[in-house]
Order: sequence, then C-alpha cells, then structure tokens
Amino acid sequence: MRHPGDGLLRRLLDEPDGVADSDRSHVDGCATCSSRLLAVSADAAEVESALRLDVDVDVDAAWASLVAAAGHESPRPVRQRRRLKRTPVIAVVGVLALLGGASAAAAGNWFQIFRTEQVTPITVPQADLVQLPELDEFGTMRVESRPRIRDVEDARTARETTGLASPRITNLPAGVTGQPRFLVGDKVLGVFTFDRAKAEKALGRPLPQPPAGLEATEFRLTAGPGLAAMWPSNSGAPALMIGRVVAPKGFSNGVPFDTARDYLLSLPGLPASLSGQLKAFTKEGGTLPLIVNANSETSFTTKVGKAPATVLSTEGGALSAVFWVEGGFINAVGGSLSTDEVLRVAREVRWAQ
Amino acid sequence: MPASVRSDLEHIFRAAYPRVVGVAARVLGSRDEAEDVAQETFLSFGRTNVPAGEAVGWLCAAAAHTALNHLRSGRRRVSREEAASDRVEVSPDVAEAVVTKDEHQRVRAALSRLPRKQAVALVLRHSGLSYAEVAAALDLSPASVGTTVRRAESALREELNRHASSR
Repeated sequence: MRHPGDGLLRRLLDEPDGVADSDRSHVDGCATCSSRLLAVSADAAEVESALRLDVDVDVDAAWASLVAAAGHESPRPVRQRRRLKRTPVIAVVGVLALLGGASAAAAGNWFQIFRTEQVTPITVPQADLVQLPELDEFGTMRVESRPRIRDVEDARTARETTGLASPRITNLPAGVTGQPRFLVGDKVLGVFTFDRAKAEKALGRPLPQPPAGLEATEFRLTAGPGLAAMWPSNSGAPALMIGRVVAPKGFSNGVPFDTARDYLLSLPGLPASLSGQLKAFTKEGGTLPLIVNANSETSFTTKVGKAPATVLSTEGGALSAVFWVEGGFINAVGGSLSTDEVLRVAREVRWAQ
Repeated sequence: MPASVRSDLEHIFRAAYPRVVGVAARVLGSRDEAEDVAQETFLSFGRTNVPAGEAVGWLCAAAAHTALNHLRSGRRRVSREEAASDRVEVSPDVAEAVVTKDEHQRVRAALSRLPRKQAVALVLRHSGLSYAEVAAALDLSPASVGTTVRRAESALREELNRHASSR
C-alpha cells in the first residue's frame, strides 16, 4: 500500500475518525509513516504554542461597544480607511486578467468580449501583492482543461503536438550552450463566475450591488496551446527560454466586459493609481495586464519588429524577459540574461513550421 | 441598531464573539487589536445576508482575513518602530519583556508571509474549527484541509527556524 500523504497524517492528529480505517492501520504498522506522523505532530505542537493566546472577553461590554459603533459608523478612524484601501487589488487584476484571458469554445450564445492584442505591465507594490485575496475567493473557477506542461523529445514533436511553429536561433547569447529541451502545454479552458457572497467573505465587508446579471454570467477563458525551447544552466534554472502561446481571448454569455470591469473597479479599496491604470483597459484595446512587482522588478516598453513589446527585469538585472503579441500569439524570451540580450534574441528568433 | 442591520445579530454576536476574537488574537498576538478586528468583522456581518447557519465560518474567515490585513499593513510601521528602538538602550529589567515581544513579532511576521489561503486555514484550524468548517469557510474539500494546514505549519516552522538560526 502507498504511504498516505502529509495532509492525511495531519488529519489523523485532529480528527482520526475522518481518516479511513485502512489508512489508520497502515500508519500504525508502518515505521516510516509513524516517524512522519511524529514530525507532523511536532510541527503542529510548535505552531500551536507559537500562535496560542488565551483571551478573556467581556461579551456584554463588547456588544455595547458594537451597538455604539453601529450608530456612528460614518466617522470611522482615518487609519482604518487607509488600511482597507488595497484589499481587492489582486482580485480585480485577476478578474481583469481572466476577462482579458477568457475565451470560448465558439459555441451557442457565447460572444467574444476580449482578444489579447498587447500586454502591458501593471505595477503593484509588494505589500499589495502579499495581502490580496486570490481569484477563486471571488467566485468559482472551473478549469475544464489544463495545460499539462511536459517535455517532448524534440522540436518536431513540439510542433506536431501543438500545431505551432518552433523557435530557431543561430546566435546564442554568451554562456548559453548545447541543445534545448522542448516543452509543450495544451490549451487551457476555464470558466469563472463571480460570487458576491464569497467576495464579501474574502474581503470581510459588504460589497456594492453587482450589475444585473453579473453573478449569472459565465466568463470563459482559453489560452494556448503553447511551446517553449529551454536551455538549462548549470544550476538547472533556465539560462534561456523562448516560447509562444496562443494568446488568450475572452467570451461571456452575459454581461459585457466593460460592465464587469467598471463594477470591479468600483469595489471599495482600490488604490487610485492602480484603478487609473486598469480603467484604461478596453476590449477594443485587448490589453492583457502583466503583474509587475514594484519592489523587485522594473519594466519598459520597446518594439520587437513592428510589435509593441514589454521588457521586465528583476532588481539587479539577474533575470530578464520580453513579451510581445503578434499574429495571435504571445511570444516570450527570457532567462538569466541582460535586457539587451533578451531583446537581441527576440529580434533574431525565427519561427519554423 | 440601525434598521439596515440584520435582526439576528445580537444572538449570533453573543454566541460567536469569543471565538472570533480568538481567531484574530492568534493572528495579531494582541487582545486589544483582536477585539478591534472582531468589532469590525461583526459590523460588516451585520449588513450581510449570510445564512445564520454559516455565520460562524463566515465570521471566523473574515476575522482571519481582516487580521492578516492589519498585520501586513502594520508591518512597515513595526519595522520603523524597530529601527527607532534600535537606537534606544534597553535596560536589563525590561529585557524579558523585549524577548517576548520579539518572539511575538517573529511569529506574526512569519504568518504574514504565508500564502493567504494557508494562513487562514492554519489560524482557523488552530482556533478550533473542524475540518468541515474550515473546508466550508475556504471553499476547500475537507480532504485538502489537512494538506493545506500541514503545508502552512511546515512553512511557518521553517520561517521561524530560519529566523532563529540567522540571529
């Protein structure tokens, strides 16, 4: 019998009745699992001790305080308002990215709301990135097909698997040698539905009334397939990676993109700077937001051929990447290289069918 | 209470307040701040239509999120305070209190660096919510709660040990 996972061992500590008898007997009789269980138990005890704080509360006094606060809600402390400002950022960005990524199995009553024509960096401070809820806390994300990223034998197999052209570069940057590995990923299809109750739970506060039909609307996303050639470095991290993916498109069976976008941007707490950046997005523009960490990444725009391109690099320039959209594909070149080097590769790469 | 506030609020408040404070206290390490968060959470809850049967899970999850937001927004302030306190000579009779405070801050800082879902699952579980309640509050399957909590504990312990060994 296979050894059970750590999650099951953890549950065994708390709710042994929730674990199947066969798993319990296995752990009892298996020296490896017994030892793992001890480690899991030690971690749990240490964390319990670190988090534990016994508090006595006066419920009557607390209720009186709540009643008073409910009667005087408007003059909330300024500090609280500031603090609450940033919470929904990532979800909004996420939903916009999704809308900007959503696409359809061209079926029935689906209509296209978005088609990626360019990518644009959206700068988000580290503090905001860390504290923001995830997309699935704002609704239901149903993934109907996953990318299943995997290695394939060679460029020809990558082309045959994805139907895409593969990259060819003759003049590799200094320090990049050998033959590349080829990776492929299948088409992704996801369906997102906004759920006000979940969003309120995630934000811990009530939200404005959503536009009619938003919660009944399904936003469908497809992106891919995609392929990449990767030259590993001695450390195993990619020294150079060149890839392309069929650009995301968005479809809706209900409210249009602009309506959903305007509602998301109206949620309480969005920083004005970010809100301004996101408001510039329109379905006509087809702009896919690329989240950039303001503390550790820099970005600038340039061109690859005739296409507008976005260049990102980590602080200190250890990693760089360039993204550009052309012919319905998002293309990317990145690696442990300078921005000049990734741009040179991007401009010289040829795509062979 | 204003008419817009739900009518069952007092009943739910009296039953759930200590637990909600407990959730926030585990995140913040401070009773006073935890009570502020609990009050804020109940004020928000009062304006929702969350079914009474789901109230405890909703309140605990909302308190954990709100407390984590407090923690993260307070981090820069704490860093500034720490930088300022580095310049102040600490007298021996308060040394023990300083050590305890430092320990608290390390735990909270480590907690704030965990992925949000892990942090919330961890706090809810250690606040006594069952796997089914944590699963419902976070929209997870009960089977994956153990995995999420285990990952959080492992990551938190690593963070704490990393900090301890770098000191």
